[in-house]
Amino acid sequence: MERSTFKSEIPIYQIPGGIHPAEHKTESNQAAIQKLPLGKEFTINLKAQAGKRCLPVVSVGDKVLKGQVIAESDGIFSSYQHAPTSGTITAIEKLPIAHPSGMKDLCIRLEADSQDQWCDLKATKKYQELNREQLLARIFEAGIVGLGGASFPSHIKLQRQDGIKTLILNAAECEPYISCDDRLLQEHSKQILEGAMVIAQLYDDIEVIVGIEDNKPKAIQALVDAREACNKKNIKIAVVPTKYPSGGEKQLIQLLTGKEVPKGGLPADLGIVMHNVATCFAIYEAIIEGKPLIKRLVTLTGEGCNQPGNYWVPIGTPIHELVSATNSNRANHYIMGGPMMGFDIQNTEAGIIKATNCVIMNQQNPRDAEMACIRCGACMDACPASLLPQQLYWHAKSDEFEKAEEYDLFDCIECGACAYVCPSNIPLVQYYRYAKSSIRNQRVEKSKADKARERHEARQERLERVKREKAEKHRKAAEARRKAAEAAGQDDAKKAAVAAALARVQAKKKNQKEESS
Amino acid sequence: MIQSSPFTKKKNSVAELMLWVVGATLLGLAAQVYYFGGGVIVNIILATVTALATEAIILKLRKRPIKQTLFDGSALATAWLLALALPPLLPWWMTVLGASFAIIFAKQIYGGLGNNIFNPAMVAYVLLLISFPVQMTAWLPPVELAQNPASISETLSFIFTGQGSNGLTVEQMRLGVDSFSMATPLDHIKSELSQGYRIVELKESPIFSNLSGVGWQWVNLGFLIGGIILLFKKVINWHIPFGVLAGIFITSSLLYVSNPDQYLSPLFHWFAGATMLGAFFIATDPVTASTTPKGRIIFGLGIGILTVLIRVFGGYPDAIAFAVLLLNMAVPLIDYYTKPRVYGHQNKSRNGL
Repeated sequence: MERSTFKSEIPIYQIPGGIHPAEHKTESNQAAIQKLPLGKEFTINLKAQAGKRCLPVVSVGDKVLKGQVIAESDGIFSSYQHAPTSGTITAIEKLPIAHPSGMKDLCIRLEADSQDQWCDLKATKKYQELNREQLLARIFEAGIVGLGGASFPSHIKLQRQDGIKTLILNAAECEPYISCDDRLLQEHSKQILEGAMVIAQLYDDIEVIVGIEDNKPKAIQALVDAREACNKKNIKIAVVPTKYPSGGEKQLIQLLTGKEVPKGGLPADLGIVMHNVATCFAIYEAIIEGKPLIKRLVTLTGEGCNQPGNYWVPIGTPIHELVSATNSNRANHYIMGGPMMGFDIQNTEAGIIKATNCVIMNQQNPRDAEMACIRCGACMDACPASLLPQQLYWHAKSDEFEKAEEYDLFDCIECGACAYVCPSNIPLVQYYRYAKSSIRNQRVEKSKADKARERHEARQERLERVKREKAEKHRKAAEARRKAAEAAGQDDAKKAAVAAALARVQAKKKNQKEESS
Repeated sequence: MIQSSPFTKKKNSVAELMLWVVGATLLGLAAQVYYFGGGVIVNIILATVTALATEAIILKLRKRPIKQTLFDGSALATAWLLALALPPLLPWWMTVLGASFAIIFAKQIYGGLGNNIFNPAMVAYVLLLISFPVQMTAWLPPVELAQNPASISETLSFIFTGQGSNGLTVEQMRLGVDSFSMATPLDHIKSELSQGYRIVELKESPIFSNLSGVGWQWVNLGFLIGGIILLFKKVINWHIPFGVLAGIFITSSLLYVSNPDQYLSPLFHWFAGATMLGAFFIATDPVTASTTPKGRIIFGLGIGILTVLIRVFGGYPDAIAFAVLLLNMAVPLIDYYTKPRVYGHQNKSRNGL
């Protein structure tokens, strides 16, 4: 594939490991961005972002306009969803979602009225006049989440202000097949840089770097031109050699700064905030044009796709519509995302979500049989996190989760480089996911068990205390009896017996009184 | 069926790796055939047939998939490497015993490929060396120095009947042109040094040549070139061969500098015996070697150092096999303490010693 000769404007560091799979980008990145014909039905997944489910604010039967809020944030860690077109809400229920398990979750189904009529939009040409809170609120209300794949609500990522010195725009797009960021840069670099300027305004003084792989020469040229056109000379363009997974957040930071995000920390700890270029474009549209995030650029590609390319797809468009729109009926296997980190789509009824950057349509080939690990260490050489994948595999396979954690299982970013190079065809990532979820389940179980134990111990203690107090009371009563007997003197045994009896009655009364009270 | 990512795979396989290893030995093998006759070919065939048959039987007994595992090339590689280390006229049943022992006791008993701790070829080699020291050290003189160069029919006769077709014994076959029984250069040096000779006097013997011994230097050069091919094909990493050769170099240099009359030069050690075969083909067995980058270097260094120490001070003329097995034992320890620093982790040694 063609490589850019553009010289990186900042020094580039190395990352360990990495692989060079066949790129398969030219299938989809040659044609201009296209638009799909407006669909009839949309299924909007309310749990499509990192964090909590959105709360629906419409009811079945409601008429909504394009861009109207249909679900809002839980207020803490969630996002907004807007109607991708005008129409009628036909269902708010559990429907198949794009998830590897094929499970169902709460979705809003919208039937289009084919008017595609916008609601009133709050465009702001002069975003410079808005303050930080206003900008963040606009970004929040536009339902913007990270479009690189993790769907992390952007307003939360942008919240932290102090210490942030560098904004990195992630344009690396290192996964094979995917070319939506490449194409977006080729056609909309200006808007992307404008969006980056909006983000930059949230900080006092911030350096802007675009990190991009050298297999996107046209996109790089478009960036250079756009930077010229909007006179944003201080934006630096950093060209990194094409290697998977250089577009991983941690990896791109290491490539551009030589620093590593500390374990358990965030890029913000290094003074860095990173956003995908598609997110910048969405922020541009949200602020300058007032349009909420209701569409995204999706690469439709794969050996089974008849019209591969990049398409503007409204959020919620069912996968099968993408298949029929591209006449890709010979495909029988659909992958959402790239071939390295994407997942199988079980049900093509599911709608695309904000994180869907690519749908690969192909024919399913049986995998080569898994063979014994020969400990060749090819996985270790490919691991960008410098883990020992062969050890992790060994421990995950034999359910030695503590050992797996000792070998830093949770530092695995599941990039799949290890499984890609494994000569024994071991689906290593699958083992790691299994181990991770088992450990998470164990933690939940343990915390539940701990709570139950604490409750039990508290109850035991309470029962013991009651018992102790009773015994103490009885002891005191007996003491009183003995004293009474002594007071009566030994000269009159009869008197003493009566006194004792009286004391007993008194004590009993007292006890009863206490118990009843 | 639900599959987990990734959905794309590099085109490679274990069988491919193993075939590369076997293929890369061909140069060294050619030198061996040229200087020591075709016996090694017979040994390779015997060992390979035995190893594959044994593997198939054990897999059947263990109710494991036979075809897939049998053709992963690992049994072939084990048999091949063992046969390359055996003297050319070794009785057939010893080769068969060694190859089957390697598969059964050094590999399948542990659970098959990937689970064994010790290098199977070397376990078999050591078993044979300890059990049959006479036959296992009965190397022939290089063909240009031999009184009775072995023909193919002669070789076959020795391997399968124990004596030559014209009544010659193995001992007679080992006679040099000067009618002295010829040992390998390392063996010769070892026994003569104990007689009080000095290296410079021993070097007069016709069995020595520029780098090491006649024939042996070419065998080692052949394996060195094969090993470099493996490095370029990324079948093996540089760490272990580098470690082995560096270990040999450092240890033998120290000895050589201290007393050149008594100790062989590093260059001689490099090109004598099984050095290159060991460094590039045997120590690099992925299953039994260390798997961390630093660990691999330590593993190699250990083998190199031990090889020289045993060659010089031990009871055997060559020591690659012993050194490899000893370091195999140390692998779990080495691996544990040489974990690479993981991304985002601060302190280098997280576990300490």
